[in-house]
Amino acid sequence: MSRHTTLPGPHLTALYLLHAGSMDVRLISLSVERHWKHAVRLVPTLDEARVVLVDCDRPGVEAAFEQLGPYPSAGIVCYAFHPKDHALRFPNRLILGKPLNLDALPGILAKAANDTAAIKATVTARRQVPAPVPTPPMAAVETPSSLGHGLHMDEERDLCGAMDDIPLTPGTPLSEKLFFAPDQYLIGHLSRAVEQAVASGRPHVISGLPHLIGVQPQPLPVCVTAFRGNQLRPFSMTQLPHATARIVSALIFSESVGTETVYAAEDFLWNIAAWAARGRLPVGTDPYQRVRLKAWPNFTQAFLSPHALRIAALWTRTWASPVEIATQLAIPHRYVFSVFSSAHFSGLLDRNAPTVAPIAVIPVAAHPSPSPKQEQRPSILSRILRKLLNAV
Amino acid sequence: MRSERARHNKIIFSGTVGAGKSTAIAALSDIPPVCTEAVASDETAALKKTTTVAMDYGLLNLPDGEKVMLYGTPGQERFSFMWEILSEGGIGLVLLINNANVDPLKDLENYLAAFKKFIASTAVTIGVTHMDRAQEPGLDAYRKKLAELGHDPLPAVFRADARNREDVATLVKALLYTLNPGLVDA
Ligand SMILES: Nc1nc2c(ncn2[C@@H]2O[C@H](COP(=O)(O)OP(=O)(O)OP(=O)(O)O)[C@@H](O)[C@H]2O)c(=O)[nH]1
Ligand SMILES: [Mg+2]
Repeated sequence: MSRHTTLPGPHLTALYLLHAGSMDVRLISLSVERHWKHAVRLVPTLDEARVVLVDCDRPGVEAAFEQLGPYPSAGIVCYAFHPKDHALRFPNRLILGKPLNLDALPGILAKAANDTAAIKATVTARRQVPAPVPTPPMAAVETPSSLGHGLHMDEERDLCGAMDDIPLTPGTPLSEKLFFAPDQYLIGHLSRAVEQAVASGRPHVISGLPHLIGVQPQPLPVCVTAFRGNQLRPFSMTQLPHATARIVSALIFSESVGTETVYAAEDFLWNIAAWAARGRLPVGTDPYQRVRLKAWPNFTQAFLSPHALRIAALWTRTWASPVEIATQLAIPHRYVFSVFSSAHFSGLLDRNAPTVAPIAVIPVAAHPSPSPKQEQRPSILSRILRKLLNAV
Repeated sequence: MRSERARHNKIIFSGTVGAGKSTAIAALSDIPPVCTEAVASDETAALKKTTTVAMDYGLLNLPDGEKVMLYGTPGQERFSFMWEILSEGGIGLVLLINNANVDPLKDLENYLAAFKKFIASTAVTIGVTHMDRAQEPGLDAYRKKLAELGHDPLPAVFRADARNREDVATLVKALLYTLNPGLVDA
């Protein structure tokens, strides 16, 4: 069977989703519909594809690759949670990390499609299997990690972005990239649903997504959903088309009994916000305004971004702006912005700083030690900490 | 003196009966934890004299050879006379409150009162256990109670399952950062 590509337009990359789960198919379709209409076209058959996207984490991926035999000029882009593990199984394949970076994906797909076409043009097709794409894996780039929590470099970029610090004092216009619009993400819908449920005392449901998300305001606010943990993260990071989600008042919200997970609303909001924020601030935030954390989030369930424990320890006791917190702890601003965004949506942020007696900003490491006994502490505390960090 | 110093490297676990102190220490300890109450009943009378203390004892071995003791105070209040003695010189307190008890917020108040002096000179983090069996009161009720009791800033309060090592480690990490947010893991 020979392959006859039908190219609908000069710039559209014809994409076939091979071996992708239904959830991913929906997410990627939504993204194409909303953002990439002019760059990518999803095609229903391999015949029409110029590039295929393959989920390596799902069982049977080898068989899926075999389907590609007759289509040597289709570009192949894989994705997986742990690209490095699969790099051994599928050497020379381009394997992206999950969750997919949706901003970069259209470019990567187009490049893979073109590269394969170029190879095809110079090396006459004599193989049964598709030619490897000679692009280095995405995971191998980016800056060195600066984390104290053993997070992997890919994860750092995914979860807190890679944004540079902003100026230490106000005055310079801030980049738009520093901010995100909550309404474009799940967090915007969720935070409204929780608000409405709590205000009315009635359960509310967010529908229109691959699974329902129920919000029960009483006796303690909880969110209930059949979304699995590993689906929630990529879903929270994705921009949703505006009309996708609807919030409705409901009597009950049971979708399919037994498969749902119940989360404390505060923890759920914290996490969904962190994943949307990726080291950014909600649009409209003044990063130089002093605020405080009302309380520590529930860090056994709430997402622990890099340095989050230190940030919480300091921010529950000090009125300080995000930039001041980062300066005191000598950490990149984006980690503090991440905590700020989560605290904002989970209701843990106190913005009513007292107007009198501003708190002097002392670098925390320079706190005086009141007694000789305590002088020993930093070293032993640090060593206990290292032990716990390495062991957990 | 080294032995003198080592005596001060201890983290105290306290809390209500059945909250999970022994379990938490076992989860974190590098040695099989010792429960002196059990030991006392099996040992000779002479030994008993020194082990009337009903407490749990675990150990963290640091890479440089130094040891950190994990002390669990007896949960039963009849042993409360020794809580202060046990905690003397300790680094800080991990307080576990069993949420399935009749009045866990009252328990919280009692334990904070009993450790008032110790907490004032060190720090405390609070693990609310058995929340899988008893959802209420929620963490917010604990925070409100702590604020009423005059704790400002509020100590860390986490939902914790003492059987989960990571939960217990998170409580201890929060304790260390409460003592010094500038701490780096060096
Ligand atoms: N379901 C549930 N069980 C827990 C939790 N935490 C601890 N347990 C269990 O609770 C029981 C009591 O735990 P212990 O560690 O003996 O409690 P303790 O605080 O040492 O009790 P005393 O020494 O009697 O004061 C054990 O069976 C634990 O496994 C939790 O969060 N949920
Ligand atoms: Mg015990």
